[in-house]
This record gives sequence, C-alpha cells and structure tokens, in this order.
Amino acid sequence: MLTPSASRNKLVGSRFSDAPAEISVVMRKVYLDHSATTPIDSRVLEAMLPYLTEKFGNASSVHGFGQEAQAAVDKARRQVASLIGARANEIVFTSGGTEANNLAIRGICEAAEIHGRHVITSAIEHPSVRGVVDQLEKDGWEITRLPVYDDGVVRLGNVRAAIRPDTILISVMMANNEIGTIQRVTEIGELLHEERKRGHRHLWFHTDAVQAAGRLSIDVQTLGCDLLSMSAHKMYAPKGSGALFIRRGVRLLPQQVGGHQERERRAGTESVANVVAFGAAAELAQNEMNERNDHTRRLRDRFETEVERRISNIVFNGNREQRLPHVSNISFRFIEGEGLLIHLDMQGVAVSTGSACSSGTLEPSPVIRALGRDEELSRGAIRFSFGKDNTEEEVDYVLEVLPRAVESLRALSPLARDASRRDMRSVPPAVAGG
Amino acid sequence: MNNPLSYFEKFRNHISRPRNAGELSDANAIAEETNPVCGDRLRLSLRIRNGRIEAARFLAYGCPPTLACGSAIAEIIEGMAIDDVAKLSKNEIIAAVGGLPSRKQHAASLAIETLHAALAKYAVTNGG
Repeated sequence: MLTPSASRNKLVGSRFSDAPAEISVVMRKVYLDHSATTPIDSRVLEAMLPYLTEKFGNASSVHGFGQEAQAAVDKARRQVASLIGARANEIVFTSGGTEANNLAIRGICEAAEIHGRHVITSAIEHPSVRGVVDQLEKDGWEITRLPVYDDGVVRLGNVRAAIRPDTILISVMMANNEIGTIQRVTEIGELLHEERKRGHRHLWFHTDAVQAAGRLSIDVQTLGCDLLSMSAHKMYAPKGSGALFIRRGVRLLPQQVGGHQERERRAGTESVANVVAFGAAAELAQNEMNERNDHTRRLRDRFETEVERRISNIVFNGNREQRLPHVSNISFRFIEGEGLLIHLDMQGVAVSTGSACSSGTLEPSPVIRALGRDEELSRGAIRFSFGKDNTEEEVDYVLEVLPRAVESLRALSPLARDASRRDMRSVPPAVAGG
Repeated sequence: MNNPLSYFEKFRNHISRPRNAGELSDANAIAEETNPVCGDRLRLSLRIRNGRIEAARFLAYGCPPTLACGSAIAEIIEGMAIDDVAKLSKNEIIAAVGGLPSRKQHAASLAIETLHAALAKYAVTNGG
C-alpha cells in the first residue's frame, strides 16, 4: 500500500499551486458494478453446495444419483419459469446470457431463413446480440438498427416502420446494460400480435432481459415475446448459468448438438449446481424484488442528487424515469472514463466504463454514442450500478472520493483548462458547490 | 534495490501523484499533440534557459497510460540539457512508468512526439 508522506504533500503543495490533490490509497472496498456481475447470495450458495459435493449425479443418468440431480434441475426450471410467468418446459438452460442470445437469434434465423433474411434490432444492444447480428449481416442478411435518440429509448413508430414482409426477427433488449433504459417491449409485443393478425406469420420477437430479469416484474404472457434471455450471475448466483425462454410452439435450430438435454434444444450435460443456484436466485429475486428495488433506487437517487450538487459539468445518460432502479450512468466532461475508473479503483471503488482504448484506437461506448453524445462525453461516461447489499455509508464514501478523483483528473486536463479560460466568469470546472 | 516500487506500483504512483502537472506562465516552448486515432492529448510547457530545461509541466487528456506518460516525461526532462532530452526514447518513458502492454505503448509515443514538437518550436523561435 502506498502512503503519501507528509514531506511529499508539502513538496507538491509548495511547488505547484495548480497541481492536483494527491490521491491517498486506501483499501476500503465498495462494489458499484452490479450490472457487470453480482456477489453470490449466501442462501444461493447454500442451495447449490450439495450439488458440488454429495449430490454430484449427472441429470441424464437413470440411477438414483441422476434422478436426484434431475429433480433439482426440474425444480430450478420451475423457479426460473415462475420469475417470468412462463411454463417450466419453455425454459432452456444455457451457460449464460451470451449463449442464450446467440441461441435465440441464430436459432430462429437459421430455422426461418426460408421466409426472409431481415432482422430488426436496436442500436444499443449488448455485444452478445450485436455480435451475432453483425455476423448475420456479413453473411448477407439485412439488418435494421433502430435509433434510440438522446433518451436511449427505441420509438415504437420506428419499429413499425421497419417491419417488412421478409422480416423474421425483432430483437430489442428489455433494459440496457450501460444506461439501464427500459424499452417498450410490451408495446413491441402488441405490434407483433397485430402483424401476425395481418398475416405476417413468420415473425418472431426476442428480448434480451439479462439486465431486467430479477429487477423488473416480467410476465411473458402479457409481454408477447417469443424468446427471452436471462443470466444467473446478474441476480446473485454464480457465473456459468443462463436461460432462454422459448415460447411453446416456436421452433429454432439448436446451436449445440450431440445430446438430448433440454428437450433437444441445447445439448450438453447440465451444470446442475449452477442451475440449482440460478433457480434459488430467481426465487429470491421474485420474492424480494420490490424490497431490493426500493433499496437500490433510494441509494442511486441520493447518489445522483449529491453528485449533481458536488460536481459541475456532468451529463446523465439515458432517460432517468424509464430505467432500471439500480443504474446511474454519468458523463464527466473534460476527463476520460478509464482514468476516472482507475482513480476510483485505487480507492477501492469498483465502477465501469463502456469505452476502451487499445492499440492506439479508442472504442467509445456505442451505447453512449447512440444517444448522440459527442466524443468527449462518450469517453467520459461511467456506470455506477448499485446492489441489494450496498449501504448508505458506502454511498457516502463514494460521494467523498468521487469529486476528488474528478477534480484531480480535471486539474490535469487541457480540455478543462481551455474551458476555464473560455468562461472566466464561472467557477473552475473541477468542482462546484459544497 | 534501487527502486522499491514494483512496475505496477510505479504506474499507480504516477496516476495518483502526477508530477509537474499544470502549465508554466513563463514557458518559452509549448506544444500539444493529439493521437489522431484515439483522441488522447498531451500538452507540454517548458521553460528553457541556457540549453537546459529549467521547468516542465504537462496536461493530459486520455487513458491512464497517457496521464502516466505525461507525468513521467515532465519529471524526467526537468533539469536536463536539451541535447540530451532530444535523444529520449519511447522505451525510456515506458520504463519510467513501470512498463506498458504493447496495446498501450502509443501513450509513450505521444509523450515523445509532444516533446519533439515543443523542442522544434523552441528551435524555430530561438534560432536553434
């Protein structure tokens, strides 16, 4: 651990009046990256542990060990189905959200190619959707990527206008992973229903609910989607398990073959312990959803109010009403997100940025760019995502270190310096207010 | 051991305690270079007297390696003769921040390019 010495403090202070404040390195840990992954709930761990030890059977085996494992998988399937109002046999377990998204999109497109080669999606999908769709485009499919405007929300009129006779799939996420905006998926489901009544039979609707499941109340019967992806580790279960809801009667081409598991829709021995954990986590999420959401919303809203009061030149990304209750995405002008991330990390605060700089090229977050933000704001975006176990004290700590980290980086920034010169009437752009 | 800091700690140290940050009001050589691809920026302001860099300050916008390299180069060149400064290499900057993965070494290149730009400006205005 580095401990700034008194002499160093004195040296910095006396030589350079415009030098940034030193950042002390402390070991307090605050995890504000729950959209990336969540810690495992102790009750979930307790539920899965027997399946890592004495209950180790293969769910496909006929003997007692296998039957025990199969029963556990069946229970988990009912628990996960219940979370979204589905039937148990409409749930296919996968290795995670990415596989679920791949299976949904490739599976439908390969099965229904004869009816058309046009897919509608949004400009802010997760890379696991974006990547598949990009690959389809390379293979000659036509893709319509719907804009989201500055609020990060797809317009229903644009969905309607994009539908063509050869459209076979609409894939629009339920809630965005970077800014948390909630899409109007129920209305898209209704639109699909209307289209089908008009005779457009070969059109399916997939929604990536990896961020939404366990946080939003979902009922696939009213939602009207045909396919819905989920991931266990976003709801306090371990990484390595996900699920795809496939509405009864929807046919897709399996992407993994060579086994009869998951009703021939996904071959491979079930990861029983992970599936059990997913089931337990889904049940807990369903039972505790309101409580968790009230808690994270309260923390998030207080955090945002205070950030707005303490730090100038910030922009909130995405519609602040129509979004997940645990996400806050903020662009800090004049600084780069990765630098802020490192500064916060050195003080034990874990956050996330959608941009990445490598090999001399910058990949600004496509999500923030899709909001119409300029390059500077896209580069300066940070996602804070709260969880059920975060505390008010942790938020206080982040509110203490964040303004200092921003101030330090802005003190180094030529953009901040130039902006300050342009507008001498204002306070320095680093920190305003209390 | 000459340096008690590990490579990773050297980098962190430059990020948490940037050296020579800011601008000089009496600079006689200022340059700002931008990486045209990633948009990272580095501004160096130097006060050069009698063939020596009396003072150097930096400002940087970009990823952490750009900030660290800006800090490192401003620290290294202060007090050096400009003939020696002109010979500084990218690898010396990389070493000063404790090493950089290859995908981040453009940050050190930007630091050297900015330094050369400042020295070139000084040469033009001072007939050097």
